Amino acid sequence: MKFNIYIIALILVAVTAITSCEKDNYDPPKFELTGHVVYKGQALGVRTNGVQLELWQHGYKLFTKIPVYVAQDGSFSAKLFSGDYKLTAIQGNGPWVTSTDSIDVHIDGNTEIDFPVTPYFLIQDESYNLSNGILNAQFSVKKIADNGKLEKVVLLIGSTTITDNINNEAIASKGASAISDLNQPIDLQMNVPSGLLEKGYFFVRVGVKTVGSAELLYSESKKINVQ
Amino acid sequence: MNRKQFINTLGSFAVFSIFAGCKKDWLDREPHTIILDEQVWNDPQEILGILANLYGRLTTDTGLVTGDNVANWFNATDYMDAMWSGQSNEDWRNNLPNYGFDYWRLWIYGYIRDVNLALEGLKTKSKELDDSQIEQFNAEFRFLRAYQYFELVKRMGGVPLVTEVLDYDFSGDPTPLQVPRSKEHEIYDFIASEVDEIKEKLGNEGSNTRANKYTALALKSRALLYAASIAKFNNELSNPITTSGGEVGIPASMAEDYYENSLAASTEIITKGGYELYANNPDLGENFYEAVTTKSANNEVLFARDHSAKNKHFFSYDNIARGIREDNLGSSSITPSLNLVESYPYLDGSEGKLKLRTPDGSDYIYYDNLEEVFANKDARLYGTVIYPGTSFKGENIEIQAGVKEWDSSINDYNTVEGAQLGSTFKDGKILTGTSGPQRSGQNVSNTGFYLRKYIDSTPLSSSRGVQSQMWWVWFRLGEIHLNAAEAAFELNRKGDAAGFLNPLRERAGYGSNSLDGSTITRDIVRNEFRCELAFEDHHLWDLRRWRTAHLKWTGSKSNEDDMVYALYPYRVVKPGDAARDGKYVFDKFVAPRFIAARYFRMGNYYSSIAQSVRNNNPKIVKNPFH
Repeated sequence: MKFNIYIIALILVAVTAITSCEKDNYDPPKFELTGHVVYKGQALGVRTNGVQLELWQHGYKLFTKIPVYVAQDGSFSAKLFSGDYKLTAIQGNGPWVTSTDSIDVHIDGNTEIDFPVTPYFLIQDESYNLSNGILNAQFSVKKIADNGKLEKVVLLIGSTTITDNINNEAIASKGASAISDLNQPIDLQMNVPSGLLEKGYFFVRVGVKTVGSAELLYSESKKINVQ
Repeated sequence: MNRKQFINTLGSFAVFSIFAGCKKDWLDREPHTIILDEQVWNDPQEILGILANLYGRLTTDTGLVTGDNVANWFNATDYMDAMWSGQSNEDWRNNLPNYGFDYWRLWIYGYIRDVNLALEGLKTKSKELDDSQIEQFNAEFRFLRAYQYFELVKRMGGVPLVTEVLDYDFSGDPTPLQVPRSKEHEIYDFIASEVDEIKEKLGNEGSNTRANKYTALALKSRALLYAASIAKFNNELSNPITTSGGEVGIPASMAEDYYENSLAASTEIITKGGYELYANNPDLGENFYEAVTTKSANNEVLFARDHSAKNKHFFSYDNIARGIREDNLGSSSITPSLNLVESYPYLDGSEGKLKLRTPDGSDYIYYDNLEEVFANKDARLYGTVIYPGTSFKGENIEIQAGVKEWDSSINDYNTVEGAQLGSTFKDGKILTGTSGPQRSGQNVSNTGFYLRKYIDSTPLSSSRGVQSQMWWVWFRLGEIHLNAAEAAFELNRKGDAAGFLNPLRERAGYGSNSLDGSTITRDIVRNEFRCELAFEDHHLWDLRRWRTAHLKWTGSKSNEDDMVYALYPYRVVKPGDAARDGKYVFDKFVAPRFIAARYFRMGNYYSSIAQSVRNNNPKIVKNPFH
């Protein structure tokens, strides 16, 4: 009999522990906000987890930002409750002109919103050529914002598709002083690390750094197969 | 009157007498469990107690203890001078993809308010103390407040300058309490003017644990050097870090005055303070260790956080070399990096890179004993770091990673490393030393080096039962020499700068007058800071004020400055080759437990301000890049 009392007590405790919280819990946020950082409809490439947008929601006692990191292809996403939010950028963080404007976001279901910016530079017409373990890259940099000052361009080789100035196996760069005319295509070349040549494939990206901006703007990450 | 009535009457009397029987002012007694304001501010002992509390809460980033907003010695492993080799639950420090923008955040307005309350109490409630006593206490409180404002401004930039007690008047309008941020230079100016006002009133002559005139001047020397550096080097960036209201960034035109005033404060300490560089031990390495750690007959230390038998700490328990630990757990947490070791130059003035391989890289350089590779190095290396072949507390620290056994079939060495510390090789000699290093073990060095500076040499001080009473030095004359040298150098008085550095260098084993106005360079001055003040909570702040941190810690694994390097010593087993057998060779590689390259972003030059602070006070503007 004594034994039974313990069993009953245990069951009671267990039942209480499992059930008692249920009533006052919230459902998790279920609506998804997705979008891209774009210039004229074209998504911009950045460093994974490098560039952050902020979502703010007014009207509640707790007023704190929801950080929204931008993936390397310029996309972002966040799970949210329904309501009205403001989407803002952090000044000096992304490789584009700082704007203090915010975008009103109304969430009442899955929502797609693009975040338009004016980049300082754009990378265009990039092409890569691998021969004898040497990678040649050719691309052109187009100036978009007048107040952007070129610091350098970089060529990056990585072992995974996530390749940027932090995650990479090798970097080659060219400073602004070595680039006289932005109307001409820019050449950069570098030796591919032997380990990657043996592996058979690697990923390349080119990036452009603007003076005063913390992050670079990149081209798409491209896979190169070693013949 | 029946029985019931009688009892009722009696009861009424009893109740009545409870209320009426006592004295008239029964409800107006002095409490026995609360000390009133008037009592505190009229009793020097009580005031001293408050001062002691505030001294104990002075902020440092590293230090020897851990505590909220006070100090956290773990942080000493975050700045490339060392890495974490202790318990693996702190391994995130070796795997930090970047410094968060809230790293080094500080918002200690509780402390500022405590000081302001004390100043108000002294002013309005101290009736029984004489004026000179009030004046001294007042000066001491203001020194503590100035010191904390320096900690705030070096991390956050210009902060709200609150010098009086802010009280809410319940009017429904909190705006009078919302103080906006001051300009960055205004906080530095405040520190300088406070020091000028209080320095003659502080008293405490000869004390190195309570502030006196020279402690205050030391604060001024350091703070104004920081202000000058920011004024100069921030504006040399291609895109200076500023805010439109001047909360961050100091105009370049102010640099010269700041350097001059810092230099004047340093010079006054050096010429009039009566302090002298510690030189009691003819062994230069030991002498440098003692200069920081010896409490008796040490006339170099201006100001320290002392520890006594009633107030001990675990710093030695956590950081002593593994092979000589006196407890069954702990040890080895902060392990200096090869990067730091190589930053100590050779005594002939040449660069400090260790010579590990022949010039063409084809073979090792073979050393007769472990310490030979470190021969002719700056003696401060010995005083700061325990490197292979040296001893501590009179005991040899056995640092050997393994054995290089010649294998003639592959015409190369096989590397053998012991799974156990203190294991022997098949030839009966040491395989792996009792202090490692090991590639993956916890609480054993991962770099091949151990910390010496600030480790207590008292017997049993590394056991949890006894603990350490080592002090933490806030200011010492060595730093003042460096501050003076940098200020003089930047003012283009290079001969003077060399004159300030030479005594420090002579103490480290260089000849007398090893530098003069023609040979001194900015790199030499800056490297002196790193060598002299390693593990004294300077390196990070120096890199920040020189605006070189983002160039040094770029987050790139291919950059040597971003990765912690290790140096593993091996004994060579190659019978029949007398030039190599039994000799020692060294392998240099990235420390196995160190994963992520250090990455210091532009947004790290000033820490972010918490959103909760900005919600409460909308006048607070953000720092750049946040």
